[in-house]
Amino acid sequence: MYSNSSQFDGNAAFSGGGFMPSQATQATDPSLVTSKNRDAQSLLPLTVKQIYDALQTNDDKANLIVDGVDINNVTLIGRVCNKAERVTDVTFVLDDGTGKIECNKWFHEAADTNEAEAILEGMYARLHGHLKNFQGKRTLNIFHFRPVTDFNEVASHFIDCIHVHLHNSRIRNSVLNQQPGMNSAPITPTMGYQAQVFPPTNHFSDQHVNGQKSAENMILDFLHLPANRSRNEGVHRDHIAQHLQISLEKLMLAMKSLIDEGAVYETIADHYKSIING
Amino acid sequence: MDTSNPAVFVNAQLIPNFIGKRVRTVVQVNQYSGGVATAKSTDDSQLTIKGLPQVPIMNFIEVIGIAESSNSIDAELWTDFGNTFDTNSFNQLCQLANGEFKGLFL
Repeated sequence: MYSNSSQFDGNAAFSGGGFMPSQATQATDPSLVTSKNRDAQSLLPLTVKQIYDALQTNDDKANLIVDGVDINNVTLIGRVCNKAERVTDVTFVLDDGTGKIECNKWFHEAADTNEAEAILEGMYARLHGHLKNFQGKRTLNIFHFRPVTDFNEVASHFIDCIHVHLHNSRIRNSVLNQQPGMNSAPITPTMGYQAQVFPPTNHFSDQHVNGQKSAENMILDFLHLPANRSRNEGVHRDHIAQHLQISLEKLMLAMKSLIDEGAVYETIADHYKSIING
Repeated sequence: MDTSNPAVFVNAQLIPNFIGKRVRTVVQVNQYSGGVATAKSTDDSQLTIKGLPQVPIMNFIEVIGIAESSNSIDAELWTDFGNTFDTNSFNQLCQLANGEFKGLFL
């Protein structure tokens, strides 16, 4: 019966929704993936000016970055102008006072057409959409549109933009200043290209506060020069030593520590490359 | 995309910095006669707004237009924000948008 302790334990551990190791492992991976996706799809309140100023990353996806965060889905508030309705879609320009951006909404079903009819020239609207960046032209692909009825929402939206800007730029700053052990912190996936660039550098500068500018630092700085970054084979150690005017022995000591840290790797014989060279 | 002609968030105190430029503000209309409205800004100053149609007295109106002088705006566009509006938040926003976070707006 249930007084049998071994039987009871078995139920609790395996059939009773317990934590079997294999289940736990399986559960971890998908959750990591979802959290990453969630970061990528988060809805950012932005001003048109911020979108205009957004940095473009170099990869093929042509993602835009604001405050170190990839932007995909955005929410904006502004006045609707130059509306043009067609059978398949509606286009208009949204003017939020900081700038103007072209928007379009494709019709998928009859309800969409009704929604488009609610878009009136000159009205204030709250939009949720996906930011497209094609051939340098940034447009908004709208999936939700709502007329603003309480105009406090206008001020609230811009305060929201300031809040999110502050939040994201603070995270980035804290990443820049953080200790190396925190590199695996959950905020890392949301960080943009630049944020990921600096921690190794800072790490080494922290480590050698009292010494001369550390050899590690100098090596990283040198490897990060655009000319060196673009070399697939990396930079030869003699070349680095010559440029930094340090002995090969000292260079290799520093290089070993960089390699141990995972900040630099050897490509072909005696050529080295920084991990962030991309 | 075009950010060449922004309308800056202003209160009465900030208007002098933008004379001849496009601004946006929210005012509470006190009087209206012959196309000129006298209105109270979010920082409790009197402003003269030209080019408005007849609007409900005491309603909050958003005006986008050219700042003509330190206390008058020539309206191009206007929106009736109704009779309840948090002027304090808007006033704070004006200050933030012209201060620390100018880069997000201008």
